[in-house]
Amino acid sequence: MKENSVSILMVDDDEEDWMLLSDAFEELGYRSCLHYEENGEAAVRYLQRCVEEDSLPKVIILDLNMPRLNGKQTLKHIKSEEALKDIPVIIYSTSLNPREKEECMALGAYTYVIKPASYKDSIETANDFYTLCSGIGKTKEPNL
Amino acid sequence: MKMEELAKVTLQNEMDLILAHRRSMRLAELAGLSLSAQTTFATAVSEVARSTIEHGKNGCLILNVSNTQREKYLVARITEDDQRLKANEGLEYAKRLVNKYNISTTGDETSIELYYHIPAPGKLDLRMLDEWRSLFRNEPAVSPYEEIKRKNEQLQDLTQRLKESEHQHKTLTNALPLIIFSLDNKGEIIYANEWLQRFTGFSTDQLNKTKWKEVVHPEDYDAFSILINPHLPQGASVIKTQCRLRHRSEEDYYWHLASISPLNDESGKLLYWTGYIVDINAQKLVEETLHDNRELKETQDRLRQHQVALEKNIAELNRSNRELQEFAYVASHDLQEPARKLSFYSDYLISKYEAALDKKGLDYLHNMQSASRRMRSLINDLLAFAQVEREGLKLSRINLNQVTHDVLQDLEMSIEEKGASVHIDPMPLMEADAGMLHQLFENLLGNAIKYAKDGVQPVVKIWAEQKGNAIRIHVKDNGIGFDEKYLPQMFTLFQRLHSSEKYTGTGLGLAICQKIVALHHGSITAHSQVGEGSTFIVTLPVTQPKGQ
Repeated sequence: MKENSVSILMVDDDEEDWMLLSDAFEELGYRSCLHYEENGEAAVRYLQRCVEEDSLPKVIILDLNMPRLNGKQTLKHIKSEEALKDIPVIIYSTSLNPREKEECMALGAYTYVIKPASYKDSIETANDFYTLCSGIGKTKEPNL
Repeated sequence: MKMEELAKVTLQNEMDLILAHRRSMRLAELAGLSLSAQTTFATAVSEVARSTIEHGKNGCLILNVSNTQREKYLVARITEDDQRLKANEGLEYAKRLVNKYNISTTGDETSIELYYHIPAPGKLDLRMLDEWRSLFRNEPAVSPYEEIKRKNEQLQDLTQRLKESEHQHKTLTNALPLIIFSLDNKGEIIYANEWLQRFTGFSTDQLNKTKWKEVVHPEDYDAFSILINPHLPQGASVIKTQCRLRHRSEEDYYWHLASISPLNDESGKLLYWTGYIVDINAQKLVEETLHDNRELKETQDRLRQHQVALEKNIAELNRSNRELQEFAYVASHDLQEPARKLSFYSDYLISKYEAALDKKGLDYLHNMQSASRRMRSLINDLLAFAQVEREGLKLSRINLNQVTHDVLQDLEMSIEEKGASVHIDPMPLMEADAGMLHQLFENLLGNAIKYAKDGVQPVVKIWAEQKGNAIRIHVKDNGIGFDEKYLPQMFTLFQRLHSSEKYTGTGLGLAICQKIVALHHGSITAHSQVGEGSTFIVTLPVTQPKGQ
């Protein structure tokens, strides 16, 4: 049941980043369920299917700069859907200026994480995500 | 009553008396009177004339015919410039010989008129009277005296008429509002009307002597001097020039048109020049005004064209500036991603494959990693710089204490690393963009810690003074300092005072500070000495100007 409790949807047009994060998970020994979609539009379609099958991801990791539906638009959509709005959304970006940060938080983002630039950071990031996921359902207030 | 004057005899001596008698006889004869009647009329006239010659002054006999509808008379009028005619002895006798007589006085002149009735006048029309008149005029002279006398009288008459005519012309030329003059062939004034002196204040003699130099404007004198040039070519026709003449009572000059034309005799030889000078100042002023007006219009047109070009250039400049900003933003934003990957992979290799690499390979990998780190910080700074203007000010009332507190947290690692001590006095509230001020303090505090002296604990003090609407914030350190001569270039892009080996940096930090401060209508400067630490001073308004 542990595997199932860690289900993360990662939306990023950079497949490399998904691979790096997957590697980090693997390195930590977590057999995570890290699902990947390459843009906002695909993510929305995937989430729709999840709603129908009643198997929603516990956390959504969202890149900002994407073709089709970008990160902010996708975030807006998620927060407007009754079935999805409670899923924590983590903004995952190379950089985030204070204004973007503010806007995302105002739109209902759970938090933001800067993409790691070192091996050590990537392991820490993966660990943080894992901790967050496993905490959900156990405590009301997940801590990150 | 209509009097027709037919003949005139001046009364001065005995010869004139004979002439008076002869003419009277002849007139009576022409009027068809009998011989006795002729004698009677002539005797009456002679009697009065004799008394006039003896006693009077400027005596004169005029023979007339009084030609009315009812009756016709021969009339002899004797005049003299004295009262004495009244007591004319001859008249006492003459009265009895004529039908009626009349004495009158006008001013100094006294006249006696003797009327002799023409009983059976023939045709006395104007043509007949003209015939009589010319008869008297052309009557052969009875004596050389009469001839001379007649010529003299004609001459005097002509002289009188000439005098009158000259007087009339003088009056006329003086009345004209222009200067009329004549010049001899040496260019000297022979005659000029009163206007010349009235305008210039100089007599013709003075003008001839000074060659008009006191009167004609120096700039126009060369052109004017052609008119008074004694070597004017024969056969020249009208010569005209425009010149300014000085009015006698003022310092002002007035524009005039001067013109002369030659007066030649029948053989074409030059007699003299006649000329006029007329005031054209008003015309000239209008001309000048029109000219000025045209120039003004042209200047305005040119100015408008320049303005349009300028506005176009400004628009073009703004457009290219926006493009550059956008380029800097997009480029730095998109470069972040590959730079981060470079960092990551080099770090990954170092972390996981250290043992598999020889020393050189590992060194190179480390070099690659630090190069990619430098690249990332450069890209980050470029992005920050591009963002400052791209996003514009987002003003709110901010608490500087909060801003500095956040900055201290962000810099926690480097503060710890250097063992720096940072003292921040209570900060004021102000209107500003919180994000930008965060960046400003991060850069200033970051520099203060970064440029520390080797082996000396960095001590940074931040305090603020408020004076009216201005807040002056000081960031003082005990670092390496700098020579103030580098101050102006320190705030420009990519200016670095130190090699990147010793102090990492992109050369953008202070340029970003400068931009942020400028957007907030403030200023930034610094005081320092090499080895003595430095103090950066930022002056910002408490509230931003309205309408920004």
